[in-house]
Amino acid sequence: MGHGNYIDPFEISPRASLGRNDKEGGLGRNDSSPVISSGAEGGVEKSYFVGAGEKLSLTFVVLPGESRDIEVAIDLVGEGAEVDLKGLYLCGGDERVTFRILMHHRVPGCVSRQLFNGIAGGSARVSFEGRIIVAPDAQKTEAFQENHNILLSEQAHVETTPQLEIYADDVKCSHGATIGRLDEEALFYMRTRGIPEDEAKVLQMLSFLAPVTPEADRERVEKAVIQLV
Amino acid sequence: MDNLLEIKNLHARIGNREILKGIDLTIGRGEIHAVMGPNGAGKSTLNAVLTGRADYEVTEGTIVYDGKDLLSMSPEERSWAGIFLSFQYPVEIPGVTITAFMKAAVQARRKAQGLPEMKTPEFLKLLKEKMAFVQMKPEFAKREVNVGFSGGEKKRNEIFQMALLDPTLSILDETDSGLDVDALKIVADGVNALRSPEKSAIIITHYQKLLEYVQPDVVHVLKDGRIVCTGGREVIDAIEQKGFDQF
Repeated sequence: MGHGNYIDPFEISPRASLGRNDKEGGLGRNDSSPVISSGAEGGVEKSYFVGAGEKLSLTFVVLPGESRDIEVAIDLVGEGAEVDLKGLYLCGGDERVTFRILMHHRVPGCVSRQLFNGIAGGSARVSFEGRIIVAPDAQKTEAFQENHNILLSEQAHVETTPQLEIYADDVKCSHGATIGRLDEEALFYMRTRGIPEDEAKVLQMLSFLAPVTPEADRERVEKAVIQLV
Repeated sequence: MDNLLEIKNLHARIGNREILKGIDLTIGRGEIHAVMGPNGAGKSTLNAVLTGRADYEVTEGTIVYDGKDLLSMSPEERSWAGIFLSFQYPVEIPGVTITAFMKAAVQARRKAQGLPEMKTPEFLKLLKEKMAFVQMKPEFAKREVNVGFSGGEKKRNEIFQMALLDPTLSILDETDSGLDVDALKIVADGVNALRSPEKSAIIITHYQKLLEYVQPDVVHVLKDGRIVCTGGREVIDAIEQKGFDQF
């Protein structure tokens, strides 16, 4: 993967976890969150190689304030490798947020799960490109990808393009993408119980983001959501 | 003032279609009123206007609730003022537990009333007490609101919320509902338990079934956007015998 010239002001690796996927320890190592919401405007390119029996857990958190172009390439190169990739993005104003994900299953028996949930308001533009490649030899691969989006305004724009390239025949792969709005009926229901409209929106947005919100970032995500409403 | 709710010459439409064509309805404190009518009579619209749904436009008339102009109040302000709507089809709120939902509701009302936040132990005690009151299993406190609930469980959850929020005016929308007997009893028990000289309820329904379990003080027949008959229990019997065509 050629990275070319890029500036990477973000120290991601310390908060990402790459661990042995051993029987005793289980798989529960995660809650790693490269927060890429502060620092200089610009792009992030990262690539990871996940070897036999290793597990990589990564969560990208993009909070409002800046445009981001995030490119992640993950190669599963050893049998039994496992990847949990999550993303949370909140954008407003005229921000541009782009995710380009490449999940490359090169060997048999690996698992990858991706979940990206994001909310776009103002006249923000989000683009999510999620590519999964399963090599001819990579039998028994399990690769899943989901990308869900909520638009808060007429001007906000989301484009989501999943791409599956599967060259092996004994695999389990799926992808799903949705773009929707806040659930008006649920908002009305909450309001009839006395929850003010803005607070009802915040509750709904936080619950939408909950599956991708790292524990350590809960407070800042909540603050950002309140700001966005 | 003895009347809790006064509806005068209420006209409402959705789009260009006029649905309510001049409704007059007065509900005294402590009274339970039933509003019955065939499909298309305007029951859902009346309910929607009372609870503040945005898609209906009131073109004429007034609604005074507890001395206040109801139509100028937002849905949440109506709730703070003591109005509760029991939904016919309660809405699912994935990711929000019943505890979090009710806590947000209680704290928002206290804030609106200028009261300090309720302390968590006090709130949990109240929650537990009201769940027991409607015979809701304690584990529901941690369930996401209405997600995966059966029809009866959703109804019970509505009545639980009603009991916890302790409204002055309860509006029960059972418009076309195919409620089974168990669900009917849950609703009826909840309404009967909240009966007091200060509290009123409106039961909007197509069927007389629920009214076997809750005794209304006044029964109205709504037809083609107007109240065409007001009376007591005998109105229900008349509907049972001859349907709505007689009106």
